[in-house]
Amino acid sequence: MTALLEVRNLKTYFNTQDGVVKAVDGVSYDVNRGETIALVGESGCGKTVSALSILRLVAEPAGKIESGEILFEGTDLLKLSGDEMRKMRGAKISIIFQEPLTSLNPVLTIGRQISEGLEFHKNMSLKEGMQEATRLLKLVGIPHPERRIYDYPHQFSGGMRQRAMIAIAIACQPQLIIADEPTTVVDVTIQAQLLELIRNITKELNTALILITHNLGIVARYARRVFVMYAGNIIEHGNALDVYRYPCHPYTAGLLTSVPRLDEPRKTRLLPIDGQPPDLIAPPIGCSFQARCAYSMPQCQREKPPLLEVAPNHYAACWVSQKEQRPWQKKSS
Amino acid sequence: MAKEVVIEVNNLTKYFPVTRGLFRQKKIADIKAVDGVSFAIHDGETLGLVGESGCGKTTLGKCMLQLYRATSGEVFFEGKDLCQLSDRELQPLRQRLQVIFQDPYDSLNPRFTARDIIGEPLIIHNIARGKEYRERVAELLNLVGLAPYMADRYPHEFSGGQRQRLGVARALALQPRFIMCDEPLSALDVSIQAQIVNLLADLQEKFGVAYLFISHDLSVVRHISDRVAVMYLGKIAEISNRDEIYKNPLHPYTQALLSAVPIPDPEVEMKRQIIVLQGEVPSPMSPPSGCVFHPRCYRAFADCSNVTPLLEDVGDGHHVACLLYEQSRP
Repeated sequence: MTALLEVRNLKTYFNTQDGVVKAVDGVSYDVNRGETIALVGESGCGKTVSALSILRLVAEPAGKIESGEILFEGTDLLKLSGDEMRKMRGAKISIIFQEPLTSLNPVLTIGRQISEGLEFHKNMSLKEGMQEATRLLKLVGIPHPERRIYDYPHQFSGGMRQRAMIAIAIACQPQLIIADEPTTVVDVTIQAQLLELIRNITKELNTALILITHNLGIVARYARRVFVMYAGNIIEHGNALDVYRYPCHPYTAGLLTSVPRLDEPRKTRLLPIDGQPPDLIAPPIGCSFQARCAYSMPQCQREKPPLLEVAPNHYAACWVSQKEQRPWQKKSS
Repeated sequence: MAKEVVIEVNNLTKYFPVTRGLFRQKKIADIKAVDGVSFAIHDGETLGLVGESGCGKTTLGKCMLQLYRATSGEVFFEGKDLCQLSDRELQPLRQRLQVIFQDPYDSLNPRFTARDIIGEPLIIHNIARGKEYRERVAELLNLVGLAPYMADRYPHEFSGGQRQRLGVARALALQPRFIMCDEPLSALDVSIQAQIVNLLADLQEKFGVAYLFISHDLSVVRHISDRVAVMYLGKIAEISNRDEIYKNPLHPYTQALLSAVPIPDPEVEMKRQIIVLQGEVPSPMSPPSGCVFHPRCYRAFADCSNVTPLLEDVGDGHHVACLLYEQSRP
C-alpha cells in the first residue's frame, strides 16, 4: 500500500536580516490513509513550518521551500501551479489552525466561511452551501446551527470558533487534515471535547490526520505513530507505544521525564533538559542536541547523526543510540 | 508542626460592574469574578489554585495583593486586614507580598536592563544603593541561575525561560513571605517549565516563602503544591491536601478536570475512560441558579438547580461544595 502523503527531504528556509534560518532542514515522513500521526516538539522546532509547507502556505519571499518532494497520492505538490494548488487546499488537504480568532475572517459570517470552500470546490450555489454549512455546524456540535450560521466569529466563544474551524476543514471531505496545535488556546475540558470530536470525525470519514502539538499527553491519547522534531529535524520516530516506552533519543527521553505525570507517584524533583535549543541560523556542526545532552560523545560534536532504524520500525538520529546503548532508558523506567 | 498562617482570605468577593451608556453610565449587572472565597496559606506552603480561564483565579490573586480592591471580605496578612489599609499604609507591607506574572514578555519593561528590573524594588524601598545595590543584584541573578554579567542586558536579549527567571529574581529581591505566581509556566516550553518549577521549589526550601500557585495544568500543580483549591465560576468547588484531592477527588468538576488531562503514556491512555464535560463555562454575569456547575454536571439531580451547596469539611480538611456530600443541611 502506498502512503497517502510522502514528504521527502523537505527543506524550508527563511531569509532574515540576521541570516538564513533553517526552520525545516531535511525532514521526511509519511502518512497512510485514515491514519493519525503526531508531529511533536517545542516551539521553534519546525513542526508547524513543515506542515504549512505541505499546503505551500509558507509566506514568500521571506520563506522558501528550498528542496524536497511532497508526494500526495503520487503527485508532487511542489511542482503544481498556483491554480492547481488552490484546487487541493480545502478539497483534498485542509488545515485547522491554532488560533481560530485570527484565522477566521472577522467580516464574513460563519456560514459564509464554511460555504466558501463548497462553492469553489463542489460548485454549490450560495444557498446550497449555506444549507450544507448548517448541517456541518450541527455535526460539530453547535446548538441552533440554523441561526448560528449568520453569526460572525466574534459572537462565538473560543471553543465554538474552533468547532467552526473543524466544520470548514471537513466541509469538502478531504483525505488529509492537518491540525496545528488545535487546542492550545482552549481550556482542558474544552480541549477534551474538541479532540474527541476530531477523533470521531476523522474515523467516520476515514480521513488521515497530522496532529501537531507540544503536549505529550495528547500524542499518547490520539496518535498511533509519532515523529519527534528538534531544531528543524526529525530526531526520532516510530509507533507511539515504542517511542514512549523505549525512547531511543535522549531528547525524547528528556521530554518524557521533564513533565510530571498524574498517574505516577509524585516525584520530589523534575528532571529538566538543561540549556536551550540551538540557534537555527548557525546550527552546530554535529548533533543539534549535543550541547544539552548528558550522553554526548566526541563523535557527536563532529558529525551530524543520520536517522537510522535502531529497532524494528523505530528510527532515531543519535550516535549513542545507534551503538545499541541507551543509558537513559534505564533511568526513565 | 503547626506553622503560622501567612495570609488568610475571608469571604472575599470581587464584583465588576457592567455598565451601559456613554455619558450617563447605568449599571446593568455585576460580573461576579470572585464570590465568597475563604482559605489560608501557611508559612513555606504552596497552595495550588486551578480552574479554567475566566473562573476568577487571577482576580482572586490580585485581590489578595490589593492590586484590585475587593468588593467585600477580608485579607489578613501580619495581623492586618489589607482591605482596610490605604495605599500608603500598604506600601511597606508590599515588600513581603510579591508577584510573578504569567507572561515574561509583557511583564518586563523593555527599556530597563536586567539590573534595573531586579533592582527597582531595592531602590523604591530604600534598601540598597551604590556598590551594595550592584552586589545584591548580582547575588539575585546567581540565585535564579543567571550569570551576573547578564545584568546589563535588556529583556529581548534573554530567552523565555531566562526572562521568567528575571521575574522570579525581581519577586525575591525584597525577601517576601508570600509570592503569588500567576501561571508562571504557561508561556514556556515543557523542557524549560521543569527548570522553573525546580527553581521555585529550591527557593521555597531556602527562604521558606509561601506561594499561591495559579495554574490550569493539573499535573504541574500536583507536583508543586501542598494543598490544592479548585475554582469554578468565582467559587471554590473543592479544597484539600494535594494527595487527598488527586487520589480521592469528590467534586464532579474536579473529577472531570483530572480525567481531561491526557497522560503521556499510550498504554495508559488506551485503557482510560475519560469524562468529557458538555457545554462551556457559563457567563459570570448571569451564573446558573443553585450550584453554578449543575448545567454541565453529569451527576446533577433536581435539587442542584435550586440549592446552593456550601463548602463543607467532609473529613481531614477535605472541603467540597457539592450537594452529593452534604449532610448537615437543616
